[in-house]
Parts: sequence; C-alpha cells; structure tokens
Amino acid sequence: MNATRTNKAEALDNAPPDPKALEAIGRALEAHYASLIQAPLPDKFVELLARLERDQAPLTQRRRDALG
Amino acid sequence: MPSASFKDELLAEIRNLRAFAISLSGSVSLADDLVQESLLRAWSNSEKFQPGTSLRAWLFTILRNIYYSNYRKRAREVQDSDGFYARRLTVPGDQESHLDLEDFRQAMTKLPVEQREVLTLIGASGLSYEEAAVVCQVGIGTIKSRLSRARAKLVELLELDDTADSPVERKVQRVG
Repeated sequence: MNATRTNKAEALDNAPPDPKALEAIGRALEAHYASLIQAPLPDKFVELLARLERDQAPLTQRRRDALG
Repeated sequence: MPSASFKDELLAEIRNLRAFAISLSGSVSLADDLVQESLLRAWSNSEKFQPGTSLRAWLFTILRNIYYSNYRKRAREVQDSDGFYARRLTVPGDQESHLDLEDFRQAMTKLPVEQREVLTLIGASGLSYEEAAVVCQVGIGTIKSRLSRARAKLVELLELDDTADSPVERKVQRVG
C-alpha cells in the first residue's frame, strides 16, 4: 500500500500528466469559463461606460477652453 | 477624452473581464466591484493604452492589480457568505456534465490563486504566454511552471491520475 503511494507520488512529480487527463482538464476549463462568459451581465457596466462618455465630454471641453 | 471606439472596445471585453474577475476572486459580488473599478481606471487612463497591443491583457492587468492591492483579503471573508459562485451563475445544461463541472469548479478553488490565474489566462481567456507574463508581472518561465503545477494539481484533485482501475477513460468521458 505504502509502496504504491510512494510510486504514485513519484510518478506525479516526475512524469507529465496523462495527455487524456490534460485534455479533459482543458475541456472542463473551457466549459467552466464559457458558463461565466454567458452568465447574465448586470446593466450597471454598460450604464457606467455610457455615463462616463456623457459626463467626460463636456468636462474635457471645459478644460481645453480654460487652458485656452 | 477616450474615443467612442475605445468605449465600444471596452464594452466588448466586459464579459471576459468579469469571467476573469470571478475566477480570480471566487465571488460574483467582489468580481462586479472589481470590474466596475477596472472600467473606471481604464477610462481615466485610456491614453496609457498602446493601440495594437491586447486591450484584454491591459484590462486584466488593471483588474489584477486592483485585486491584489485592495481585494485579496476581502475575498476570503466574502467567499463564505457569498456562496460558491458557480451556484449563482449556473446556466442550464445537461445534468450529467453539470455534475462534473461542479467537481471541476471545486477543484479550481483549491488551487493557489497564482496557479488559478495563470491557468485561466492561458487555458480560457486566450492570452499568450507572453501576455500572461505581462499581466502577472513575472517571467515566461514562471508562467510555464505555474501552469504545469496547476494542471498536475487538478489531475490529482480530480483523481485523473489513478490508472489502477482506468478511471481516466471514464472521467474523461464524463468531463467532456
């Protein structure tokens, strides 16, 4: 039992993981990330950018005017 | 002031930015605060962005810096009360693969954040090794070693390494 564990631990340290296992991880990671990307997006981000664009335009113009 | 096209480019990156933030912090509410703050900072520093380079990588760098300087401590506190993020964001899917995706998500949360972020950047966000190195402010060698440690750890956590009774075949099918 102990011998098996030691061998397994050594194998894990020394050998790269099974390509099939890596492939499975890659696919799971993509699926996980895709679910995050597709999750409903709160409106506040789009609203924030719209507000920034609206607010900053006159401000910058005023600064430019002040600088002459 | 930032151009209208810069705003559109930011809009196009919000989902990716948020996905990275959730992966990093493990919390949807923290992630949303992080995205909000990152967008503000990106907007007011738009002149520092170099056209022709990756806007995604630039935004990720901003978000990551904010996370490590202001949010990392909070993340631990919030995670418990916020509930595991996957539950709040689960999209309808077939039940069989959903179960295994849960296993995968649980395993991801057990990785050190330095490994989790590299795995996410390279394996999911589509960044190159070079871009990931810039985002994480380390060398490419460090990126590569974190990536291989992250993968090895996931193999171990998901017991994909146990070839004694060939569960790899079984699990690969389940995860796929």
